[in-house]
Formats: sequence, C-alpha cells, structure tokens
Amino acid sequence: MGAGDRVVGRTQWCDYPPAALTIPSVGDGMPPNVEAVAARHPDLVVLYNAGPNVTAAQQLERIGIRTVLLDMNRLEDLGPAARTLGRLTGLEQRAESLAAAMDSLRLQPLPPPTASIAFVVWDNPPIIIGHGSYLDQLAAAAGARNVFSDVTAPSAQVSLESIVARNPQWIAVLSDSGTVPAFAKRREWRAVRAVREGHFLLLQGSLFGHPGPRSGEAIRRFRAMLVRNDEGAQHAAHQVLHK
Amino acid sequence: MKWTLLVIVAVLALVTSVILGPAAVPLGELLHSDIVWNLRVPRALLAFLVGGSLGVAGASLQALVRNPLADPFLLGLSGGAGLGAVVAIALHLSGPWALPLAAFAGALAALGLVYRLGLIGGTGGALDPRILLLGGVAIGAFAAAITTAIVSLADAAELRNAFLWLWGGLSGASWDSVLLVVLYIPIPLAVLLAASRPLDLLALGEESAGYLGADVEAVKRRVYLAASLLTAAAVAVSGVIGFVGLVVPHLARLTWGHRHRVLLPAAFLGGGALLAFADTLARTAVAPRELPVGVVTALIGVPVFALLLRRWTIA
Repeated sequence: MGAGDRVVGRTQWCDYPPAALTIPSVGDGMPPNVEAVAARHPDLVVLYNAGPNVTAAQQLERIGIRTVLLDMNRLEDLGPAARTLGRLTGLEQRAESLAAAMDSLRLQPLPPPTASIAFVVWDNPPIIIGHGSYLDQLAAAAGARNVFSDVTAPSAQVSLESIVARNPQWIAVLSDSGTVPAFAKRREWRAVRAVREGHFLLLQGSLFGHPGPRSGEAIRRFRAMLVRNDEGAQHAAHQVLHK
Repeated sequence: MKWTLLVIVAVLALVTSVILGPAAVPLGELLHSDIVWNLRVPRALLAFLVGGSLGVAGASLQALVRNPLADPFLLGLSGGAGLGAVVAIALHLSGPWALPLAAFAGALAALGLVYRLGLIGGTGGALDPRILLLGGVAIGAFAAAITTAIVSLADAAELRNAFLWLWGGLSGASWDSVLLVVLYIPIPLAVLLAASRPLDLLALGEESAGYLGADVEAVKRRVYLAASLLTAAAVAVSGVIGFVGLVVPHLARLTWGHRHRVLLPAAFLGGGALLAFADTLARTAVAPRELPVGVVTALIGVPVFALLLRRWTIA
C-alpha cells in the first residue's frame, strides 16, 4: 500500500518484506507488551483479532492510542482488511487495488483437484488441518484436495489410522528448515503410504503459514510444487478421480 | 469368580480395541489388514501395558505414602517429563525418539531430586513418605514453572504442541514402543510384587512393620524407585494419563481387599482394561477426530471416584 515508511514498530513475527526487519520489534504479538508498544508512540496499532489482543487493544485505547483489530484467518478476510487499513491510513486508492487483488484470489473458480493431501501440523498426537482453515483454502486454490476437508474445525486431533485409511498422495508440513520431519522415521507413521514413499510437501512457514498480501504467491508456489513434484503421481491421481 | 470376571473384562477390552477403529476394516480382513496389524494391535497392547503399570504404581505408592490420594504422577514425575520434552523441542533435538527419551530423562531427574529430598526429611537416612509427597508436589510445580517460562519465551511454535503430547495419548504406539515396554516393565513389576508382604505390613504403620520383621527402610526405597521407574516409562511412551493410577487401585482394594499379593495383579489387569477401553472410546467416539485419552479416563474415572467417596462416607 506504500505506508511502509510510517511503520514505527513490528512484532517479532513480522519478517516480510526484508525492510521490515530494520524496524524496531516490540516482541510478541499475542498479546503484545502494551508498554513497549506505547513507547514507540504510534498513532494507530493494528492487532490480530483474538482473545488476548482484545484486552491489549482496550488498554491501548485507554491511554489514548487508536487501535484496530483485524480478522486475518481466511482468504476472504484479506480484502476487507486491506480496505480498513486504507481508510485508516488515508491510502484508500492503493488499498483498493490491493483489496481487489485479494478478493480475486477468493472469487476465482477452483481448479479441479489433481492430488490429495493431508496437512500434518503435529505428529504425536496427530493434528491435521480441517476445512475451516486457511491452509485448506490454499490447497483447494492450488488444485489439491484436503482428505480431511470433512473436519469443519481449522485443525483437529485425529487418529493415525484415519490418515492411513484416507490415504493421501502427499503429506504437507510447514517446515522452515526444508527437511523431512522426524516422524517420517517412526514405525507407526510408515503405515501411511505417502510417508513410506517419501511424498512430503515441505511448505515454508513464513510464506504459507498465515494469510496476507503474499497469499497469491503462496497459491502459485503450491501449485507449482504439485505439478513439479511428481508427474507420475499426478497421472495416477487423474485416473483415480475419473474412476 | 472375581478373577474370571476380571480376566474376561481385560480380554474383552483388548479384543474390542482391535476390532473397533475409525477406519472401517471388515471382520473378515481383520487379520490381514495393515491398519489392524501395525496400528491397532500395538496400540491396544501398549494401552494395556501402560494402564496396568499405572495401576500397580498407584497401588504401591498409595501404600507407601499411606495416602489414598497418591497418584503415580503426584510425585513430580509429570513435571519433570514435561520439562524434558519442552527442552528437547526448544533445543531442536531431532530424531524419532528424541521426545520420549527427553521426557524419560526429565522424569528420572525429578525422581532423583524428590528421592534426595525424601532422604533429607527422614532422620538417619530414612525415607520420609510425607516429605516424598511434599517434595514431589514442590519439584513438580518448579519444573512446570520452568516449562511455562521456556514455552512463553522461546519462539518455536511447536513448543505449544509439547503440551498436547504431554497430556497423554497413545498415538505413538508401534511395535517398537511395545517391545521397549515389554522388555522394561517386568523388572519394576517383579520388585513391587516381591514387596507385597512388607507393603501389607507397612499399612499397619512403620513401627509395627519393623516389629513384624520388615526391613522398612529398604522396602520403602525399593517401592518408591520401582513405582517411579514404571511411571517414568509410562510417561515416555504415552504422556501423562491421569486417574488410572488413582482410581483403579481403589476399585481393586474394594473388591480384593488390602493384601498386595492379590491387589497388585488385580490393579494391573484392571488398569490395563480401563486404559484399553478408554483408548477405544477416544479413537472412535468422534471419529475421524480423536479425544485425548486422558480426557476419557477422567470422564470415566471421576464419576466412579465420586461414587466411591460416597460409599466410604456413608459406611
């Protein structure tokens, strides 16, 4: 939007674009250290809308600092968030073009799924991503079918047995190190075919982990990974889907 | 009759946990199914062995500290195991067995500290059961405080998941973990069973037990160490599963009386059956989702416990 030069503070998690790293960090964002935030003398504090941050927002308002709580959970939250920020910064026009780009991510028709995946966020107990989450949306937009899309919650603990039974072609994990997770070597996980065959999609957490202006890039990269990773597996997926 | 019934219940719990699961496996294919053979059978066996170990550990510790509220995890082991697990994640220790090993090491460290405190409390190298209890609670709270500090200061998102792991579950069950437990638990179980007669005497009070010929100090040490080593193994393979070690010994005592030679085997079968049954419920009740098994044991355990307390206060 072009308001980068007005940012006076960030959380330790705000690491993109690289220029953001030159701005002083106020520490954690959930909830923020209210004093550290106030010490930066901001006119506006933007917070992620979640329980602990609501209290922090009230505290900041009480000392006369304007706050806004943004929902940033799913693709459809991005357009409205951009418009809200545009209104608050007086950059409505540029915000509108960003918002339109974000809205188009959500409005474009979903491609036919070419592969099936399960997102595993933790291995013991196995926690997977369900239909209610942003990652499920990313997968759908990239042309992958989440085998746990019948689970309505954003994430849920499931039994390993149901992962084996649903037999996804790929196991997607958020991994900043880019290495296959340790559970791939555990005996019980080798009952999952994709684990046995080493079919892991390693998604970089800073790009894929949260919705934002780079969601479009995340979808493109995801799609490219599915196409590049295994042409043979894709072919097999077509056959299964057309049965 | 009582024994026949208990054995039937135990076998039934094992069989149902093999037959039932979130994935539909036809009865005819049960023996050839990869899911059954590599996931359900080891998980059922592990649940049974862990539940049994917790039952025996609980029964022995309740006799040792002469406190009906004693639970295998009351003596600081859960705190130590949690700290071990969180440290392993924070230091990025990798490898498929890093977490269980770190939890086991943490539990052992807590065990050593509590034991040391218990010796300080008693006069002349005697182990004071009251100090064991107090020391256990204190060390547990201390370890939990350090754990929480690490989780809130470090920025690895996985750290929050360490709590999930710690709150218990048998998702990590495999033939490897079953084999480990099968090789490990017979030794502490045998030590405890061998101490059944002195444990009976200990119930009369330490002084009386001494007059009746029990080497009270040696027995207390052996029982504490064996019961804690059982618990440490349980926490390493399945996290902290509450209520099995508290409720099962009481139920067994109500039915089989206070003689440990029969009480301990009954607590083993009862604990095994309860955990295998609870895990079946945890896997199937909300499939494909899964409940933490500790939730199920508490949901079954607490009402049973309340009933027990009622019976005691009325009697």
